[in-house]
Amino acid sequence: MKLGGFAGRILIVNLSTGETRYEPLDYGLAEKFLGGLGVSLKLYYDIVKPGVPPLSPENPVVLGTGPLVGTDLPATSRVYAITKLPQSKAVAWCGGGGMNFGCMLKNAGYDNVIIEGRSEKPVILKIFDDEVEILDAGDFWGKGVKDTCSRLWDTYGRPTGIITIGQAGENKVIFSMAYIEGAATMGRGGLGAVLGSKNLKAIIVKGSKGIQVADRKRYRSVRDRLLKTMREYPYLKEWQELGLMKSLPFFPMDLYKKVKKRRLACVSCPIGDKDVIEIKDGPLKGTVIRSTSMINLITPMVYGLKDYREAIKCVSILDDFGMDMFEFFGVLSFTKDLIEQGVIAPEQAQDKIKVDSLESVEIWAKKVCFRQGLGDLLAGGFNAILDTFGDMARPHAPYIIRGMLPYTGPRGPLPWELFGTMELGQSLDPRGPHVGASGSPTYFARRPLDQFPRHLRRMGAPEEAIERILPSLGSPEDEESLKVGRLLTYSHNWFSALGSLGICARAQINRFYNAETCSEAYSSVTGIETTKEELMMKAERVWNLLRIANVREGFARKDDTLPDKWFEAPPFKNYVTMKPITRQDAERMLEDYYDERGWDKRTGIPTKEKLAKLGLE
Amino acid sequence: MKRFLIEVRPELCTGCLRCELACSEVYTGAFNPSAARIKVQVSDNECSISFTEDCTYCGICVDHCFYDALKKRLEEKA
Repeated sequence: MKLGGFAGRILIVNLSTGETRYEPLDYGLAEKFLGGLGVSLKLYYDIVKPGVPPLSPENPVVLGTGPLVGTDLPATSRVYAITKLPQSKAVAWCGGGGMNFGCMLKNAGYDNVIIEGRSEKPVILKIFDDEVEILDAGDFWGKGVKDTCSRLWDTYGRPTGIITIGQAGENKVIFSMAYIEGAATMGRGGLGAVLGSKNLKAIIVKGSKGIQVADRKRYRSVRDRLLKTMREYPYLKEWQELGLMKSLPFFPMDLYKKVKKRRLACVSCPIGDKDVIEIKDGPLKGTVIRSTSMINLITPMVYGLKDYREAIKCVSILDDFGMDMFEFFGVLSFTKDLIEQGVIAPEQAQDKIKVDSLESVEIWAKKVCFRQGLGDLLAGGFNAILDTFGDMARPHAPYIIRGMLPYTGPRGPLPWELFGTMELGQSLDPRGPHVGASGSPTYFARRPLDQFPRHLRRMGAPEEAIERILPSLGSPEDEESLKVGRLLTYSHNWFSALGSLGICARAQINRFYNAETCSEAYSSVTGIETTKEELMMKAERVWNLLRIANVREGFARKDDTLPDKWFEAPPFKNYVTMKPITRQDAERMLEDYYDERGWDKRTGIPTKEKLAKLGLE
Repeated sequence: MKRFLIEVRPELCTGCLRCELACSEVYTGAFNPSAARIKVQVSDNECSISFTEDCTYCGICVDHCFYDALKKRLEEKA
């Protein structure tokens, strides 16, 4: 039986042997794990041998798109990759706004691509419908993200979908990422290094097979309702104009309008938020960047690059190398402190580190990207530095979780003081500190608690869970009025549902979806009749599978780190009372999370009963 | 079916391809940008929007544009 929405095939590429083949998608698998994120994770879980090092040929990368990707349901373009990442060494989801890539992959006839082995020489994987080739990367190797994309589009035309790495990925910088068409990042934690270790410079896709839905009439009804709501949304134009700047207006609007060259959207997205930015004056005039958002300029500015034009240039350099700016600035700043504290001799650094100087940042970005001198150590991330300098370095380290910098926090590169789901989520996402999966009504919105139930119902949380999350609703509020740990459970489940279907999880998009709409969309597209309760149960199954994939690698509660420095001044604050969060408060939230999940509170491991209930025995 | 003149404002286009998706679904029964009768190409510097010879100017692409890059204008009688 052919289901709607799914392309129906999995492409398997072995870079060691050069063999490419495809297999039909197991629809039982799709039914059990929904698609996209869920099916990719299950495919990875079944083929990977536990314990394999992240940068070894034995660590596969499984790419996937959900059944809604390629349709015109709003903002259904997400692309996921499942692999073991080198920074956290965990089995991780990596996701990105799919730009053209997801739609093109589906149109080429594939839901998933499994990439195994390691090529002897640098290659580009070309997937144009049934024509699958492993091409010599030639002089693409050594090029930055921007140049690689431009040249590939010159050769193959638009809209070719492209995932590529920059030189940082080639050199296996531990915090290198992959980029989708230069505008969306994918795989903070080292997906770039994983692809680089396989000598895979880029994946290019183009397709013309078409995607059919199971029930056109029912599909159109769901779609048209969604589009009508979006059209009537009073802030639509504002979101379209400002993108993420709408929720974090840190930058003067007149300057933003001056530098904004074009807004880009992923396929099917009515509220695109990718920015093309151009410096219009000064010595850096003419610099153009594609960015996941203008708000990326916050990080270099927080670290001291006060001139916005220098911040743009800095983002341009790091994005082109394909490096995660949070980690880059984190390790650079840490190294600077170690030099000042006498742990590292200044002559070892050769060039002075000044994080507030574009010239210095550029020198060090090159040193790290190309592993020159001390840059080679920094390219190994916090763990490499701590392994080298040990106890002498540790007191000077910033807050670290699983070897990475949690980027939202009172002193983080994305400064934020309220302790909501995204903040706790940095400890509880198996991939390490990443906030993408832990979005909830708490984030940035500062909503009053009485507005939460509506959003929680939207996210598929059952009524009894809402009572546990908001135990004293209607009574005077105290620090226990919002159970962040319990709420995070449903944030993760909601993300898991959206990711498995292929819907963007960003707040400005997912606010238009609810669990019922998702189940209706899924049913009409695939033909698999699914209630919202079944949808959310399958989403929960996917998140539990992610946990047990990591339990199998030796992870447990001990790794759900709450860094000591989170509880020093300036501390996080309680969402409701604004009182400082203590370690005991945060530990209680962790336990609430495990309890809500049905996991062992002592170990953080899913219980046998829970796994049996979810069909994951 | 009403016929329209379709005005294009490429500077507002984001490359979301909603127009190509809607067009291809209506005329082929499948979402397939390569089969659409409207063609959009967006780069950082420019955008081109064109229509193939078999486009009937039905306006479905306009109905699905969220960025005002496409606008309908009723065809004037000669």
